[in-house]
Amino acid sequence: MDEKIEKVIPSYDVIILGTGPAGLQAAIHAARKKARVLVLGRPESSSLYKAHIENYCCVPGVKTGEELLLTGMQQAEYFGAELLKEDVVATAALQDEAYQVTTESGKTYSAYTLIISTGVTRKGLGLKGEKDLVGRGVSYCVDCDANFYRDAVVAVAGDGSAAAHGAVTLSKIAKEVTLIITKDLKVNPALKAELEKGNVIMAAGSKVKELRGTDKLDAVILSDGTELALDGLFIEKGAKGAMQLAAFLGVSLDPGKFTYIVTDRKQATNIPGVYAAGDICGPPFQMAKAVGEGCVAGLSAGGFALKKRRKETQTG
Amino acid sequence: MSGDKLIHVTDVEFESQVLKADKPVLVDFWASWCGPCLAIAPAIEELAGEYDGKVVVAKMDVDKSPATPGRYGIRAIPTLILFKDGQVVEQITGAVGKAVIESAINKALS
Repeated sequence: MDEKIEKVIPSYDVIILGTGPAGLQAAIHAARKKARVLVLGRPESSSLYKAHIENYCCVPGVKTGEELLLTGMQQAEYFGAELLKEDVVATAALQDEAYQVTTESGKTYSAYTLIISTGVTRKGLGLKGEKDLVGRGVSYCVDCDANFYRDAVVAVAGDGSAAAHGAVTLSKIAKEVTLIITKDLKVNPALKAELEKGNVIMAAGSKVKELRGTDKLDAVILSDGTELALDGLFIEKGAKGAMQLAAFLGVSLDPGKFTYIVTDRKQATNIPGVYAAGDICGPPFQMAKAVGEGCVAGLSAGGFALKKRRKETQTG
Repeated sequence: MSGDKLIHVTDVEFESQVLKADKPVLVDFWASWCGPCLAIAPAIEELAGEYDGKVVVAKMDVDKSPATPGRYGIRAIPTLILFKDGQVVEQITGAVGKAVIESAINKALS
């Protein structure tokens, strides 16, 4: 039980997953407390990015989400937060309640606390027969189900880091992997290189229009009419979220749907040092709520981390 | 000690502890690297306590026991299968709320 794992001294106090309004407000408040803050994610992936906001207090007129997010990023940087436009693809708990994240390009960072504010993405494609084929060829989680598709022909649908990272994982297990991208692949060049190395076939500019198969998935029809015979279709939209990143650390999700992270009034989860804010904590999906929760999470995580760092510096 | 009510089975004991059990058995096929499996784990543990004496609740790690998931065509986890007299009577794939699992168990018990 007293096994000694090499102790990692975290290089950050707070790592924030997600660059929406919750993540940026958390960064501003944590950085103003003099915590060392790293923010990971792509602002253009935030649901706010393409929105027009007219119901946010004290900011009159209509503002674009893009304008608000870019201002928020500048504010966070001004107070000392570091921003890196990469999604997190894996989380891990280190010794003494510190945490490590791995980004899409394979870099790792560690911190005393994490704030998960990656928003929510609708899981499925909403296609006819999709629900009945889950577990029979359709999957929403590469990390969970890749091993069941050894030497199989599979495809991954999605434009973000979750899909691309999933395709790379599958390329080491399956016989053939196709990545179905609706528009552009929004990922780091290092991850793109991994896709090439894994011989992932790119089906760009297409969408899955139809699923074929009754007892199990046989094929998918793409929007350009192409039929792909498949053993498995993995649907991985956007970036990894609550289920893959938080639940993996033991964070409790809402017991009804397992979609949202459960927090207390300090935005703390059941795991010490792990906080959450914004849409990932549930509705209403409003910028004002996200900002409020981000503020609380930033203050809570910043305070927790600084106390821990001070204690370790004194004892270490 | 509700945690003690939950049993862990492998490919080796599956026949004796699940198929030949004298009570219905709910098997949770899971793996340690599967986030959704970890998310529903507390609910599974609670059910083991609540249905004690009526239904056996078992967990099978698909990493350590690949034969049984293969036999039942499992290609996604978590998958919950309720066995009664050696037959599959209910199957649920993915992380679902405790109420959904309860209603599947109650249906099989009625």
